[in-house]
Amino acid sequence: MKNEKYKILLVDDDETLCALLSEFLQEEGFDVETLHTGDAATQRLLQRDDIDTVVLDIMMPGMSGLDVLRSVRAKRQVPILMLTGRGDDIDRIVGLEMGADDYLGKPCNPRELSARIKAIIRRTENSLGNGVETKPIVHTQLHGIKLDTGTRTALVNNNPLPLTSAEFNALSLLMTRAGQTITKQDMTQEVLNRPLEAYDRAMDVHISRIRQKLSAEGINDVIKSIRGVGYQMLTEQQPNQDDN
Amino acid sequence: MQKFSALLASAYQKLGFKRLFWRIFICFWLSSLLVMIATGFVIISKYSSEDYTKRYNNDVLTQAERIVWRYEQSVTSATNRSIKLKNWITKRENRRGHLLPMLIKDETNQGIYQYRFNKVKPNERLEYSVLGPSGRFYQVFSKKPQAPRIYTQLMYRFQSLQFVFIFFASALVSALLSWSITRPLNALGSFSRRYANEQEVPPLPRTLLTRGDELSDLASDIEFMVNKTHAAASAQQQLLHDVSHELRAPLARLQVSAALIEQKTPDNRHVKQIHSDCLRIDQLIQQILDYSKLEQSNPSPEPCDIDALCNQVIDNMAVTYPAVPVEYRPDSKAQIMGFAEALLQALDNIIGNACKYSSSGDLVQITTLDRPTSVLITVRDHGPGVDEQEMSKLLQPFYRAGNKMHTNGFGLGLSIALKAIHKHKGELRMSTPDDGGLSVELILPKVVI
Repeated sequence: MKNEKYKILLVDDDETLCALLSEFLQEEGFDVETLHTGDAATQRLLQRDDIDTVVLDIMMPGMSGLDVLRSVRAKRQVPILMLTGRGDDIDRIVGLEMGADDYLGKPCNPRELSARIKAIIRRTENSLGNGVETKPIVHTQLHGIKLDTGTRTALVNNNPLPLTSAEFNALSLLMTRAGQTITKQDMTQEVLNRPLEAYDRAMDVHISRIRQKLSAEGINDVIKSIRGVGYQMLTEQQPNQDDN
Repeated sequence: MQKFSALLASAYQKLGFKRLFWRIFICFWLSSLLVMIATGFVIISKYSSEDYTKRYNNDVLTQAERIVWRYEQSVTSATNRSIKLKNWITKRENRRGHLLPMLIKDETNQGIYQYRFNKVKPNERLEYSVLGPSGRFYQVFSKKPQAPRIYTQLMYRFQSLQFVFIFFASALVSALLSWSITRPLNALGSFSRRYANEQEVPPLPRTLLTRGDELSDLASDIEFMVNKTHAAASAQQQLLHDVSHELRAPLARLQVSAALIEQKTPDNRHVKQIHSDCLRIDQLIQQILDYSKLEQSNPSPEPCDIDALCNQVIDNMAVTYPAVPVEYRPDSKAQIMGFAEALLQALDNIIGNACKYSSSGDLVQITTLDRPTSVLITVRDHGPGVDEQEMSKLLQPFYRAGNKMHTNGFGLGLSIALKAIHKHKGELRMSTPDDGGLSVELILPKVVI
């Protein structure tokens, strides 16, 4: 863990809520900066790269949270947590598909928000290689995909495969346990550092993005969905029968 | 016999004689035919009876003049005068049947000739006077002419080609009239059906509005009403959306404030109460939004894999109710054309209810069955079940079994499910099996009509 406080950028058009949340998060030990428009948030994020996690509300007048996500993601890999109106399932999935790291329904218990932020930070810490609980470096190779858990890079036929940290964790988990079915509960816990919730489709969206990226490199049907259970990476010997 | 009547009934159904088209057609056709027949009857009876009376009077006068002439020619004794005259006139007229009933009297009121006149009542008599060759006047009484036999004449006339022409012309005119009334009505019907299905105001056919008759007034009134209704419905949707958003903003602030208090005084049971109530309000807002969302238009049904939808819901239940075992027997072929989002909500609420009322260890059984024109989904729990009288009430919004207000629901779940099922023109049936629990059957037609 870093010595200085983690810096959170809170973007929401409700100024009172921002003030209250920032008071809460400061009490939780974060350094909080608040902005109330999408424009200001985009500018701030593109200007300096000193934010550890962005908490971004989708419903904002003018430039919406999804617009901010789109323009920031193109240039910065900063972890982003989307706040979505509960029930706007489409927004959640779109947000994840556009590269958000996780989402949280709004209104939410702030303790849940704090826990999610901590989970994201822990994951990023691990991915930077300076986390406390460093895992042994494993080189995994399967179906022409090469993973280096030390540098956290993925290569497909020696071309780098751009993956977000959640996607890298998911792919790494599937590859190290190829041939076994991993439940969605376990995957959510290990990849996103949080328990699976009802109507939680975060893992499905991450897997779908990995499949898309692999498919673009010509690797198809290596991750099998086990309906009602979870996912499985096929071993090279395993013929893919019915991947639905 | 029974078979025949069944056949007749089915023909009646198929041709749709209850339709306004046929009613107007048949009424108008029959009445126009009746009017024409009645007119014909009046005209014919008038002309032919006048004709007949004239001819009859002529005949009477001619016959009377002949008799008078003969009487003056041959003066015979008064005893058998009438018989002789009758014989003569019979010979003269060549046929006995043509003798007309009459009574002739001379100036002294003495009867000189009488034929079948005894029974003629005074009010049926006609009186003429005839001048004899000698210059004397005679009184002649005859029977009023009877109505001519026009029915036979009528039939004769109507069998002509003219009548056939009238028959078909009136049929054609009636059909046209009928069609001109029912066609705009059908157009109006399809207009309102399209509005109901698509929740978008479709353009009203211009021909309907430019007719200038009462039907075009009706059409423009309906268009006005639909526009008003649509505006009101969209305003309501917007209001619900705005209200829910506006409610959520203070709710979010309330939760953070509660959390701030919690930071300072941990394990505060009042704060816990605030948190749980916030959650409850949030769920209620969500359910009301779900309920109102089902009204919104879905442009067109898409193929929905029932098995995949059930699996998704069962996955969610496994997270929410980990202690409730679910037995799922799918029919992987089950697929319908429908609205996945609405179906998901229906299944979520019904399977969620089954799990909610099952204590740990009580099995929830879900089966799907692919049938020729529909898909049957059965959700069966072994919980406390429901009273027979309460079953229909369960489908009303905000009604809860046993009228208990303390359960952790709002009584909207089944209403949402029912609405979603109705959106698919499907059916929701509840029954209480003999061995306890509740069984909910969803019947979803494969194609939403």
